[in-house]
Amino acid sequence: MQKINGLILIFIIFLNTSIVLAEDISGIDISHLWISEAPPTVSVLVAYVTLKNNSTKTTSLISVSSPLFSSIEIHRSIVKDDVASMERYSSLTIPAKSTIKLLPGDYHLMLFNPKTPLEIGDRPILTFAFSNGVKIPVKAHVKKRKYNEH
Amino acid sequence: MITKLSNSKFLIPAMVTLVILATGAGFYISLKQSQNQLVQNNETRGLFWPNPKQIKNFSAKDHNGNAFELSNISGKWSFIFFGYTNCPDICPITMSVMANVYQHLVNYYENIQIIFVTVDPERDTTEKLSSYISFFDQDFIGLSGEPAIENSLTRQIGIPYYYNKKKGNNNYLVDHSASIFVIDPKTRLIAKLSPPHQPEKIIEQFKNIKRFIDAKD
Repeated sequence: MQKINGLILIFIIFLNTSIVLAEDISGIDISHLWISEAPPTVSVLVAYVTLKNNSTKTTSLISVSSPLFSSIEIHRSIVKDDVASMERYSSLTIPAKSTIKLLPGDYHLMLFNPKTPLEIGDRPILTFAFSNGVKIPVKAHVKKRKYNEH
Repeated sequence: MITKLSNSKFLIPAMVTLVILATGAGFYISLKQSQNQLVQNNETRGLFWPNPKQIKNFSAKDHNGNAFELSNISGKWSFIFFGYTNCPDICPITMSVMANVYQHLVNYYENIQIIFVTVDPERDTTEKLSSYISFFDQDFIGLSGEPAIENSLTRQIGIPYYYNKKKGNNNYLVDHSASIFVIDPKTRLIAKLSPPHQPEKIIEQFKNIKRFIDAKD
């Protein structure tokens, strides 16, 4: 009986530890990933996404990849004195317990050289890699931009 | 000496004259200053008035490879936006907004045209341009304006653009004006609409500008 109690105790401790560890390691929620529908001949597409860091440790998005694109980069659109430009970011820091949103006119993902044009209904997979070693593949939606709809 | 001056019968008339002259000069200076500025009140923000720039002849190619010149903008209200097809965020956002604006305005006005001028003629071929602009609206016009040419539309409007080119990298970015320019039927550069761009805001601005210009002419 004591042996079983001991085993149960060890199991519970292990379970709790691994839950805590799992929380820290994969405490990232990725949502609202969408790629804007674009003219079929365009060689750079854009994706927007929400990244939520539920853990107690700061982490960074260090890369995004997909077999559908030759490369993916993180950029931020800037409009200053009426001139539009983009700044490239090698990583995006997501502080503990906070959310970052990549939105039109702001931070976004540039998707270079799509192998095929994407259409509404496609669900391409983008894999997000973080500084804590976690890699999360996510299915994106392909959507029309808001102002194309009447 | 001072006592003498203050007792002079000329003192008061002299002071009054000075005040009148000073006031007059002040009005004249401020009038001159305001004449060549953009009209800043809320109704007609971004308006180049008075003395809007008269656009001179230019030769560009449209998205069908046809010549596009001054005669093509005469008699129409043209909205002009500068960008490039490899621009993934700001340009498509603006083009989508303009599609919405156009779809609204064509219900009320016959002579509206939306023109997208590429500042990246090297990569934006006629075919690419055609496919790009027709995605947003079949009536849109794409121009390869060849910005470097002396009398190009790009040069005349005076928009800034800058290639962030690195050797051997064809994925370069181009910085460019984010404003939408308006040319009236008399081919005058009449307004500059600054970002952020929203359909309702642009529609409202256009109606105000048109009302203002129609009243002046």
